[in-house]
Amino acid sequence: MNHLLKAENISYNIDKGKPILSNISFELNKGEILGIAGESGSGKTTLGKIIAGLITPSEGKITFAKSPGWENTKVSPIQILFQNNGETLNPFRRIDSVVKEALKLRNGVIINPEEEADKIFLSLDLKENLRKRKGYELSGGEQQRGALARLLAVKPVLLILDEPFSAQDPDSQYNFLDLFKKINSQRGVTLICISHNLRILKELCNNLLIIYRGSIVERGKCATIFNNPSHPYTRFLFKADNYKLSHDEFRNEPYNIQEPD
Amino acid sequence: MKFTVNIKELKLSTSTEEKVLLKDIYFELSENCIYTILGKNGSGKSTLIKSLAGLLDKRFYSVKGSIVADNIEITTATDNELMSIRREKIKYVFQDATNSFDPLRKLGYYFKRFGLDKDKSEKLLDYFLLPCLNELSQMYPYELSGGMAQRFSFVFALLMKPELLILDEPTSGIDPAIANLFLLKIKEFISEDKKTVFLVTQDIEFAKSAGGFTAHIKDGVLSTFKPNDEYFDSEEILFKNSWGEL
Repeated sequence: MNHLLKAENISYNIDKGKPILSNISFELNKGEILGIAGESGSGKTTLGKIIAGLITPSEGKITFAKSPGWENTKVSPIQILFQNNGETLNPFRRIDSVVKEALKLRNGVIINPEEEADKIFLSLDLKENLRKRKGYELSGGEQQRGALARLLAVKPVLLILDEPFSAQDPDSQYNFLDLFKKINSQRGVTLICISHNLRILKELCNNLLIIYRGSIVERGKCATIFNNPSHPYTRFLFKADNYKLSHDEFRNEPYNIQEPD
Repeated sequence: MKFTVNIKELKLSTSTEEKVLLKDIYFELSENCIYTILGKNGSGKSTLIKSLAGLLDKRFYSVKGSIVADNIEITTATDNELMSIRREKIKYVFQDATNSFDPLRKLGYYFKRFGLDKDKSEKLLDYFLLPCLNELSQMYPYELSGGMAQRFSFVFALLMKPELLILDEPTSGIDPAIANLFLLKIKEFISEDKKTVFLVTQDIEFAKSAGGFTAHIKDGVLSTFKPNDEYFDSEEILFKNSWGEL
């Protein structure tokens, strides 16, 4: 298979405290869309940051198959779309200037930066008038698209989306879903999507990891997991998503963190 | 005496009345029931519920019409009247819970300041899977995760035993299990304490499971409240897309 990334026995803890992640191993193929789900505080974002190299795991290693040309670049081929874009976009700079700057960081020469920027804006449906706006003049969804434009400018190989659907109404969620699928199919970007919105992950992803208290408790093809969840925690999560849990069921915790065979 | 809220001919616009946000709003809230309003981003959901608690800044918003809560006209109430009604009768849980608290005070302050019952606090914290009172009291708001802050904010509002509990997108940004917990407690609050809950949300599944009465805001107009089942059977779907069954 066409391996892009391999995570082996990743663990992460702070000051010898309770581990945030323990023994995470998985493989990611080129062109794949991998979903990561789990409750708040289960370590999803930490895992995303470790994959992107923003934090170093306490144990284990990540191997990334770098395509030629990336060795000497200033930017990483792995980029993250953070959850709070309002805080990551400079509020006082115009979106077009931010994107043009990011284009200069791209690996390889761009013959016509203007045209390339236009292409990116077009694919994200950022209209002329929005491009001229500054970060603070954009709504939440527009800020997210602005941040995405900046990320696409460096042409990432792997893009990690951290809760890209929170705080949006279903219609905008649907638009973003389409957008991410396009980024994957047309631009060939491999995606990891971290979300607790299971319904969207079901639509978006090929494969899924369910994380519970820092460990992977279930993994596999998205369709298989949704049709036939094997771990009790996965079933708990699905039931919760349909608002079918009773309070007693919260007392079943903690679940066994062993992955079922 | 029964607690009711009566809204007549309410019109919300920007202070210069250049832009009308919502108009021709009529409804009545009675006790022992849950009312849910659905609406897209920017449809004016939060503006409407803020107006009920007199929370709209008069420098930016103009509120015309009448909102009578517990025999007090909210639109013309003095600051003192508003303060007392917010302390005793109407509790509002903000969407951004972390910023609802003073960052320089430990959470224990809120329990002391409002003389909250220790046993009841302990019980509710346990219900919401939060740390115990002693541990939580020593924490600052910024030490809580977003979901924890939202739960604490909700617990705190419940402990004040309001007649009307207003919730702004209670399930946004929290995981499904915790959202489920919210729904269970809200239902209990209505059936056992005989109180009223008024909430806005974009979470269709939550709205479907909530029961009570449901309406939506579309193009600056609030639809009529209908019984929950009837609403979801008859109303045209507000959002083009829904996520279907899991």
